[in-house]
Amino acid sequence: MSAGRVHRPETLEEATALLGELDDVMVYGGGTAIQILRKQGLLFTEDYVDIAGIPGLRDLTVTDDDITIGTLVPLRRVETDPRTRRLVPVAAAAYGQAANPRVRNTASAGGNIAHGDYRLDPPTALVVLDATVHLASAAGSREVAVREFFTDFQETDVRHGEMITAITVPRQPDGSRSSFVKMRSLSENDWPCASAAVLAVPEDGFVEIRMGLGAVAPTTVYLAFDVTPDMDEQQAVEAALDIADSVMDPIADIRGSASYKARLGRVAVEQAVRSSLKELSRD
Amino acid sequence: MNEITLDVNGTPHKVAVEDTTLLLDALRRRVGVTSAREGCGVGACGACTVLAEGRSVSSCLAVAVRYDGTPLTTADGLPEDDPVVSSFVDSDAMQCGYCIPGFVLMTKELLSENPSPNDEEVSDHLEGNICRCATYPEIIKAVRLAAKRSAT
Ligand SMILES: Cc1cc2nc3c(=O)[nH]c(=O)nc-3n(C[C@H](O)[C@H](O)[C@H](O)COP(=O)(O)OP(=O)(O)OC[C@H]3O[C@@H](n4cnc5c(N)ncnc54)[C@H](O)[C@@H]3O)c2cc1C
Repeated sequence: MSAGRVHRPETLEEATALLGELDDVMVYGGGTAIQILRKQGLLFTEDYVDIAGIPGLRDLTVTDDDITIGTLVPLRRVETDPRTRRLVPVAAAAYGQAANPRVRNTASAGGNIAHGDYRLDPPTALVVLDATVHLASAAGSREVAVREFFTDFQETDVRHGEMITAITVPRQPDGSRSSFVKMRSLSENDWPCASAAVLAVPEDGFVEIRMGLGAVAPTTVYLAFDVTPDMDEQQAVEAALDIADSVMDPIADIRGSASYKARLGRVAVEQAVRSSLKELSRD
Repeated sequence: MNEITLDVNGTPHKVAVEDTTLLLDALRRRVGVTSAREGCGVGACGACTVLAEGRSVSSCLAVAVRYDGTPLTTADGLPEDDPVVSSFVDSDAMQCGYCIPGFVLMTKELLSENPSPNDEEVSDHLEGNICRCATYPEIIKAVRLAAKRSAT
């Protein structure tokens, strides 16, 4: 393993200055993805900016409208914090099914999305909740809707010189119901071969169904449609499967062939839509 | 090189580590802890588990400098009459034993968060640990027994 240089800035300004000046540089978050890539010999970056010494990046703050998750908040905290469980249960569910508890204790919320893998679980919930990613660079800060953040296969909208500082997640709308379903083909805490986060939001005269799909296309996919009063549950499920089918483009690997993943993607969508609608009708 | 202090089972150890030295290597080679072991090397098997401030960490994916001064627990630091340790012994929950320190520490974490877990909660928490001798049924028994012993 190459030595690698680790810079340990103590302020955001120092960190963004380093990220801007250095050519081949990476932010070191929880390090769970970086360490694996290093061990696999796939990462040759010389300079790492370890952001652990910067104050404020581990905060989880709640307002009347939303929850802001600092980039260094561990996935497990999003899963277990009573505030996230109550206010954004679909996020708590999706974060709680990524990897195993040890990895979730170490992996960071910002590193998770920056990793940009098309199979990640947390982004499926973030897209249905319409979260916003906060980025900082020496030039200032900007915000990107998470629905625009995953730009292509393993690509995100983080630009050279930038780092994620936080993710803001709007509270789940009043009266909405949600479900996260993850299909695995190897072991219980493995990456998904298909996953679906669904949020059913009652509106005036119809129900909006928002869906975030993982592992079934080169990036996380966001889809939405309305269930009108003339549609029963079965028709709503069929509508969901129709639009899900139109985006499915799975990548074959050891977790299954493309057709197998598309099949499981349909099962995940169906289960998540049914379960959200059932809960809604129980209210 | 960085001079850091690894606080292992209550004893401080001053060690010199590179920026990129893994916590697992620092514990094994600099401190002499052998209960944390390398298995898969990618966070998926749990043989390298240690607790940092009571929370489980795959030490094979963690850099040592991040744990300067953090209270660490390794399985060898637990006394024989620790309810989790004694429950694993009394349940014959091991064959070769390579993976057991990881299972013991995951159980410590689980019971500290949830003193009386049901079977599903037990497997949810331990699913990221692999035992190649497949003593899983005995491990589950050991966790149930440990929950009982910890409660009394
Ligand atoms: C055994 C195992 C199983 C897994 N299974 C799953 C699974 O089932 N589902 C799932 O969703 N994930 C899974 N993962 C992936 C895991 O979620 C990621 O490894 C983790 O979230 C990455 O976060 P990190 O903080 O460790 O990132 P790091 O390793 O620190 O960084 C990852 C990437 O993000 C960049 N980065 C980090 N922080 C920032 C920042 N603030 N700003 C800009 N860029 C940044 C880094 O430069 C790097 O490119 C698994 C991982 C392991 C080890």
